[in-house]
Amino acid sequence: MVRGYEVVIGLETHAELNTDSKIYCDCKNQFGLEVNSQVCPICMGMPGTLPTLNEKVVDYAIKMGHALNCHINRVCKQDRKNYFYPDLPKAYQISQAEVPLCQNGYVDILVDGEERRIGITRIHIEEDAGKLLHSDKFHGCSLVDLNRCGVPLIEIVSEPDMRSSAEAKAYLETLKSILQYLDICDCKMEQGSIRCDVNVSVHKPGEPFGTRSEMKNVNSFSAAVRGIDFEINRQIDILENGGTIEQETRRWDDAKGESVSMRSKEDSQDYRYFPEPDLLTIVVEQERVDKLKEDIPELPNAKLLRYVKEFGLAQKDAAFIAESVELATLFDSCMAKGRFPAKSYTTWILGDFIKYLNDNSKTVSDTKLNADNLTELVELIENKTISNAGGKKIFAVILEQEKSVKELVDELGLAQVSDASALEAIADKVLAENEKSIHDYKNGKTNALGYLVGQCMKASRGKANPGMMKEIVLNKLNNM
Amino acid sequence: MELYRKSAYELSQMMKNGEVSSVEITKSVFDRIKAVEPKIDAYVTLDEENALKAAQEIDNKRSAGEELPELAGIPIGIKDNISTKGLRTTCSSKMLENYVPPFNATVMNKVYENGMVVTGKLNMDEFAMGSSTENSYFKPTRNPNDTDRIPGGSSGGSAAAVAACEAIVSLGSDTGGSIRQPASYCGVVGLKPTYGSVSRFGLVAFASSLDQIGPLGRTVRDVAMLQSVINGHDRMDATSAYRTYSDLSAGLESGVSGLKIGLPKEYFGKGIDDEVKSGILNAVKALEAKGAVVKEISLPSTDYALSSYYIISSAEASSNLARYDGVRYGFRAEDYDGLIDMYEKTRSEGFGDEVKRRIMLGTFVLSSGFYDAYYKKAKLLQRRISAEFSQAFSDVDVIATPTVPTTAFRIGENTDDPLKMYATDICTVTVNIAGLPAISVPCGKDSKNLPIGLQLIGEKFTEQKLLNTAYTYEQLVGGFSMPEI
Amino acid sequence: MNIDIKHIAKLARLHIEDDQLEKFESEMQNIVNMVENLPDIKDELTLDEKNPMILRKDKAVTDKYTRQELMANAPQVKAGCLVVPKTVE
Repeated sequence: MVRGYEVVIGLETHAELNTDSKIYCDCKNQFGLEVNSQVCPICMGMPGTLPTLNEKVVDYAIKMGHALNCHINRVCKQDRKNYFYPDLPKAYQISQAEVPLCQNGYVDILVDGEERRIGITRIHIEEDAGKLLHSDKFHGCSLVDLNRCGVPLIEIVSEPDMRSSAEAKAYLETLKSILQYLDICDCKMEQGSIRCDVNVSVHKPGEPFGTRSEMKNVNSFSAAVRGIDFEINRQIDILENGGTIEQETRRWDDAKGESVSMRSKEDSQDYRYFPEPDLLTIVVEQERVDKLKEDIPELPNAKLLRYVKEFGLAQKDAAFIAESVELATLFDSCMAKGRFPAKSYTTWILGDFIKYLNDNSKTVSDTKLNADNLTELVELIENKTISNAGGKKIFAVILEQEKSVKELVDELGLAQVSDASALEAIADKVLAENEKSIHDYKNGKTNALGYLVGQCMKASRGKANPGMMKEIVLNKLNNM
Repeated sequence: MELYRKSAYELSQMMKNGEVSSVEITKSVFDRIKAVEPKIDAYVTLDEENALKAAQEIDNKRSAGEELPELAGIPIGIKDNISTKGLRTTCSSKMLENYVPPFNATVMNKVYENGMVVTGKLNMDEFAMGSSTENSYFKPTRNPNDTDRIPGGSSGGSAAAVAACEAIVSLGSDTGGSIRQPASYCGVVGLKPTYGSVSRFGLVAFASSLDQIGPLGRTVRDVAMLQSVINGHDRMDATSAYRTYSDLSAGLESGVSGLKIGLPKEYFGKGIDDEVKSGILNAVKALEAKGAVVKEISLPSTDYALSSYYIISSAEASSNLARYDGVRYGFRAEDYDGLIDMYEKTRSEGFGDEVKRRIMLGTFVLSSGFYDAYYKKAKLLQRRISAEFSQAFSDVDVIATPTVPTTAFRIGENTDDPLKMYATDICTVTVNIAGLPAISVPCGKDSKNLPIGLQLIGEKFTEQKLLNTAYTYEQLVGGFSMPEI
Repeated sequence: MNIDIKHIAKLARLHIEDDQLEKFESEMQNIVNMVENLPDIKDELTLDEKNPMILRKDKAVTDKYTRQELMANAPQVKAGCLVVPKTVE
């Protein structure tokens, strides 16, 4: 509820698939190359050229369909969506109209610790358009780069099931982590590999849904949140002032933090969809549909639940790890060793490791950390060979260098002294030099114990096993 | 010796026997072009230099003892909607007047791989929309049998060039009769192959689900030989049929004994010229005398085919021709104010009236609120028409009809009445609607000395049967007769 | 059945001169009338499952064409790009 209104949000999310070639021709599907260098007569829409559908695109879309619990239409077709724009060489986009590859699914998301189920209306395959370049220096012209033409897209259309911008954000983040888990999209927001259109409406509780506006050009998840919040307030302002909401398409300007009207319902475009005559029916064998389902890895929402139930992780921690394929892979392979409790690992992964990744803008694979060296480190701490402080020193090294943890213990001189006689000798020496503190302790100043143990640790240059040291000092004091 | 008059088969034999070279043949054809082209206007672009170069190469290979394909060294003309790398491909439109494709159509690769000599690009109705070649932006082509008359269309240049011996054979394209109708008017043989048997890659699209490239020639054998060169599965065309083909010219002599020929009564009703009708019936009688069995059949939905055809083809065309926007290639208007004005002026100045009319019709039938009443209805009728053909073919082997209801009309006679012009396609569109193969073969002349065409329609991928029947008939009546120009 | 020629022309990005409107309208009307005589078929279009499409293997091919070759037909080129009147979006 915002200002006494219920909010209804639906999202249309476009994800670029990371195939080798484009959807309808064998040009390279790659971002960031020289303008108009990844094009051919087909994706330039030259007269007489014809599309041929890339089989990976179908596979990837079906995988996403499975991941979002969709019904797979193993017999479907493609359609033309006709409109004129300089970034669309054929003046139609090959897409899917009434029969999408996947439909009627759902995805469970977590918002503030609560699970919400968001319906998925459909997932269909289509081609991306090119890019227009604008500059004041172009003297009233725009330039057209067609490299992106024909980059494969899936469009994931949600039901209007979200009730706040926070839910929309959680939904988008869930989609992103699923796309990463399936390894079908690079998910590089800055390159536009995931983009979305947002449908928002508001209504008073108990009343039917309000008129919706569609907002385009939302290029990041944070922009989606800002855009939705802006749109909610814009609509409520209108209603509160006695106005009515028009069905229209708006464009989000993230720099200005506002949406502006692009076109009203009356000028809504007539796309004249009809079946693409250059392509035949897509028929995917049932066995292939099933095989693609088998290949789906455990997805983040399932992992999250398992981490909480099996390993007793806090939901927040479980979510954090599960959301990242790389962290989850690391954590899962640590746990697969079956040697130490989850806590021994999460302390490191969610502590020093995340801090290191964030501080250095690195990803897991940029580091040398793996389940083997992390388990060795955990083992040495658990069996008290090294202290926690020593562990941190080793951890810092194994993040960046492929070095044996055991060798590092020696190299850095971090082995703890747990030999009782050696510790007793240290204790005897320190006690002999600190008669005042012994006196204080005997007179009830218990914090003198801490001081004495600290002196012992210092004398051992930090290598004494702190627990044993304390015990020995206490023993000696009590026997004095 | 007038080499240009000979058939591809004869010339091929002569080259094999060392009686003549490809250069001599090519020169002969270009001499003929120089002599009659001013009266016929079949070509949009001639490519003599490269043709002679290609002919010389073939001759060199032959004298080096290399084994060459059957049609190596034979001059061929290409309809100007088939993409030829480095040779402008205009579709007889101002829109593509200076467009030079950077790639070859799949059929062109096959033509070149077979060592054929491309003479140039042939005139047509703009973007293949028309039945007379009067819709060419450049010029109308004239019928070699009577230069006051149209050659038919849209492959008018392809038919006229072959009839006037300005090419030995040619390639055309057929969306609603555009190979067969001009073949009939010009008195040559034209085959519209089964949809999917010849790759459409590089054929500038008019109506993707109906378009098909096919061969034209003066003899059935030449057409069979050329069809064997151009057919075949192509990975570049998703609608291309995945199958193999045997050499169609090998079994032409197998005769028609026992062949069941159906005469659909709907194709012999009103609007069919009496002389045309008797020409067809005489031809069928001749085949009957050779052992064929003739029976009357019915294809009741024939009357709806023309409407369905215009809806489906215009709908697809409106989308296929949307890409001509003055951005990547082709004509761009000179003065404009902003993007939309640039689009509108470019397209309004670049397209002729017939093209605009079909784009408008196609846009209308697909537009919001009309799709079901028009496009969907037409597609449902298409299904019904196909089913009726399937039903008929459970009973007969081939169906014989006139190719066109009348013989060639005068230039300008029908230009102001689109519906009358469209009606000339009434016997041919059904074949495209159903994706079937059909051949038009000359069957005599009317009292004005204008050729009549017999159309034989077959089931999908039965080109061999059609060619055999046409060949048998051709042997009986003598086939092509050279017009005086 | 009235056809809004101007609206259709706008969708098709064609400019029809006012003096041409009537001609287009009557010609289109004739064609539409012809179509309206078609019988109604109470049926739905179905997908042709028996004629499935062969899909292409996902393998990129590079350096098939130079940019210069592909842009050679363009009316206006600048800095390796096609040039169009300024778009506002």
